[in-house]
Amino acid sequence: MTEKKWYPVLYMFLITAFFSAIVIGLNQATSKRVQANQTLIFEKAVLSVLPNVYDPNQKLSGIEVHNLFVEKVQPPSSQTAGAYTTAENGKISAYALPFQGQGFWAEIKIVIGIAADKKTILGLAVYQQNETPGLGAEITKPEFRNQFEGKIIAQPPTMISFARPGSTLNESSVHAITGATQTSVRLEKIINEGLQKWQQEVQ
Amino acid sequence: MAVLNTTKKYAIEGIWNNNPIFRQVLGLCSTLAITNLVSNTAVMCAALVFTLAFSSATVSYLRNITPRNIRIMVETLIIAFYVIIVDVILKAYWPQMSSNLGPYVGLIITNCIVLGRTEACALSNPPGGAFLDGFFNGLGYSYILLIVATFREVLGMGTFLGMPVPYFSSAYFDRWIMMVMPPGAFFMLAIVVWVFRTIQHNKEEKTK
Repeated sequence: MTEKKWYPVLYMFLITAFFSAIVIGLNQATSKRVQANQTLIFEKAVLSVLPNVYDPNQKLSGIEVHNLFVEKVQPPSSQTAGAYTTAENGKISAYALPFQGQGFWAEIKIVIGIAADKKTILGLAVYQQNETPGLGAEITKPEFRNQFEGKIIAQPPTMISFARPGSTLNESSVHAITGATQTSVRLEKIINEGLQKWQQEVQ
Repeated sequence: MAVLNTTKKYAIEGIWNNNPIFRQVLGLCSTLAITNLVSNTAVMCAALVFTLAFSSATVSYLRNITPRNIRIMVETLIIAFYVIIVDVILKAYWPQMSSNLGPYVGLIITNCIVLGRTEACALSNPPGGAFLDGFFNGLGYSYILLIVATFREVLGMGTFLGMPVPYFSSAYFDRWIMMVMPPGAFFMLAIVVWVFRTIQHNKEEKTK
């Protein structure tokens, strides 16, 4: 049988069908979990930039984080121009803005928290990036992210500027990352373009 | 006893005599790409050991009914199958690591060690032997990568497995940013290959 001309074709077909079936099955079985993981990473990022909702040091399970998100965070509406919001006493107390754009290696996705005055930054969370570990990937570290807390958004086009590491800062600039010029420049662009667009649209 | 002897033979071949990194010089793309953090490297190595061992065994199991002229297609399919399993499991149960490794898990499919071992060993040996060959070649790959990664992480970032290392993380030590960049991998790998080849060479000289 193995000498027949059609044998390789049939063999390849059967073997492909067999292995594909297993892979497809596995994919199906885990697809909900994979999706839930991605949602959770985003929800954590949103919660972490909003004030008085979530302490990242506190160990919460996935379900608890999700419940907290559902309870505290309102989804974007046309009034908030794409921003998630949280309310205190019926009034919006903070915005969480998801931005994304091209990094040095791959897309960077971030969330910026902004106070009700639409000017003061409450925090920055990076929930997806693939920058060089030890260099560009430092954007995920608290040492970098904490710089944003309390910064005031300046007038466009440079609303938040990235300054040379070690230079003096003003109320709307932060230090860029040493050795990661490209990541810094691109992140600065993502933040500024996002903020500018949002300020034009938000009511 | 015989089983033990063959296991030992495969182990010595894969880990030392015919080590995939410093002897066969295969699979270097991933060596260069993912060795800047020890934790990432360890997971990558585990994924490779798994893929290599099981795809070798599977290819060997099917070797007598696989037509010669389409064997590369079949081998690639089998390798891809195991790699996708690892990828899906990481995505579902360890999303943090999955995003750290980025595309590199998927790229195990094109890792030359895997296809190299299936061609060189699995096609002409029974499944048990092929499995051991894959497993020990995987280990041979892993420990070299872990050595490279340890040097790169300690010198480049002052940490080991994410924990600060005394002196290297202090202000006295100027971190070698070069080490976490791709060129650092070239230098480090070259030095490691050089050292291991020298040891191997000296040993061979002595036995002559």
